[in-house]
Amino acid sequence: MHPIEASGLTKTYGSVLGVDSLSFHVESGEVFGFLGPNGAGKTTFIRLLLGLISPTSGTAAVLGADVREEAALIEAKRRVGYLPANLGFDPGATGEDVLDYHGAVKGDSRRQDLLAMFSPPIDRPIREYSTGNKQMLGLVQAFMHDPDLVIMDEPTSGLDPLKQERFHEFIRAERDRGTTVFFSSHVLSEVRRVCDRVGILREGSLVALEDIDTLLAQGGKRVHLRASEDVHDRVRSLDGVFDLDTVGHELHFTYAGGYNELLKRLASFEILDIEITEPPLEDVFMHYYGDDTETDDHATKLEAGDA
Amino acid sequence: MEMTLRPTITQQNWRQEMLETARYEVDRRRRGTVVLTAGISLVAVFFIALYPSFQTADIDIDQMIEAWPPAMREAFGLVTLASIEGFLAVELYNFVWVIVLGLYFAYLAAGLIADDIEGDRMDLLCSLPVSRTRVLFEKFAALVVPILAVNVVVGSLVYAGTIAIGEPIGPLGLVMVHLLSIPYLLSCAAIGLIFSVRFNRGDVAKRAAIAAIFALYLLDSIAGSVEEISVVQSLTPSGYYDPTAILVQETYAIEDAAVLLVATAAVLVGARVLFVRRDL
Repeated sequence: MHPIEASGLTKTYGSVLGVDSLSFHVESGEVFGFLGPNGAGKTTFIRLLLGLISPTSGTAAVLGADVREEAALIEAKRRVGYLPANLGFDPGATGEDVLDYHGAVKGDSRRQDLLAMFSPPIDRPIREYSTGNKQMLGLVQAFMHDPDLVIMDEPTSGLDPLKQERFHEFIRAERDRGTTVFFSSHVLSEVRRVCDRVGILREGSLVALEDIDTLLAQGGKRVHLRASEDVHDRVRSLDGVFDLDTVGHELHFTYAGGYNELLKRLASFEILDIEITEPPLEDVFMHYYGDDTETDDHATKLEAGDA
Repeated sequence: MEMTLRPTITQQNWRQEMLETARYEVDRRRRGTVVLTAGISLVAVFFIALYPSFQTADIDIDQMIEAWPPAMREAFGLVTLASIEGFLAVELYNFVWVIVLGLYFAYLAAGLIADDIEGDRMDLLCSLPVSRTRVLFEKFAALVVPILAVNVVVGSLVYAGTIAIGEPIGPLGLVMVHLLSIPYLLSCAAIGLIFSVRFNRGDVAKRAAIAAIFALYLLDSIAGSVEEISVVQSLTPSGYYDPTAILVQETYAIEDAAVLLVATAAVLVGARVLFVRRDL
């Protein structure tokens, strides 16, 4: 049984497509990043998982419970934590009121530990909370019953960089404890830093489902080298070289072939300096988004973050 | 060890989950309940304090009422203002209970679901291991607390107040006028709840609920004075709660209250169907 399993999951709103026949699963104990620009259908997918909206066709299972079966899904929800994208609380309630209520319904065995890590001012009314404080309260409630699966929609929005970093660390530690984490994001650097696997959503369809390493490898390596002579033609003739830029004796290119072929070729001339790096994830992304003009401006909305 | 612990834990979980949502909602409404009860208490005290000057006034007030158009008398349940029962039936119960509280509880109920959807709270609430049916009914059940509070507090105050001015009200009638108002107020709230599950915006649902209750009240008043359409009264909640009949004529229409309770249950079932089936 996979923690999340979608099969042909489709949701349409009238003529507008929310998600289109999604079929994939999330492995137990992994951190799965669900990546896509705003409007790609990430939130629709998550809300389908929680039974907040019902599928037009197909279905999904959460911890083995069919999302169309309310009773089964309720049982599963005892072991699911959820952080919605738009987090609303009663403005007049204090953080403590909210946690007491959630705790009474689903349990709160880890509440104190979490409050030590994320520290919303729980004795103050929520109307006084900043966005970051609300988000931290949301994180505490999502994890406090020690769920097996946590589903988060844009979890780091509103957190300052320090808290974001603490959150990423926390997610990695959660994975090590065996918790399965599914989160959506449009922040590439974040996905790259904490995810084991990534699904890329584009206009409601899954366009890629890869290990993060594979995904990065598919984009090739960025090579930057400085030679003592003009080697432009000799590099260009090598298979797997593209996007070659030459300024004097300095070359920038993307290389998608094997290392040995590259090194053999490079060994034939004198190199003063060389740097081989992973491509920025945006480049990988453009690979999936950049092939037609209509989606170009979707792709440009993606934030590179601070990678 | 584990074997002996397990049943206890299960039992405890079960008990904790009972009415947690209702309890939370009651807590959230505590201040509103206090303000409402205090406000209505003030109105009650004001009317009771006014009564002696009404009585000593050198006019036959009932003769004046006779001169009023019948539709007006019907609308306000005017039979007599010459007794404390008749006076309070009109000023306090026909006006405050039937109109003001009827509208208020419909308004509160109309916010129960729609406000949470509008305020982005419903996603989180429905992600909890609680069924939508339970969410809906527990939220509705939480309204019973302010309904009881205002009835018990103001009822006691009226009893004490009328004694204080030397015009003690009949205790049985007083108890009945409050007791029988509970099904009426619940039915108004149930109508509000229908709008709450139907609309995504709290203010739209609340306005629609207020308009509906007021329209039903007007319909009842008009139907009450026009013989040909008097059957329409049976379609309005206020047609089943008549403070004047209870306080002045001392007729306690228990079966009318039963009709209201059955209708409330039916409307709640309808609200549940709408809420469970809809996308949030």
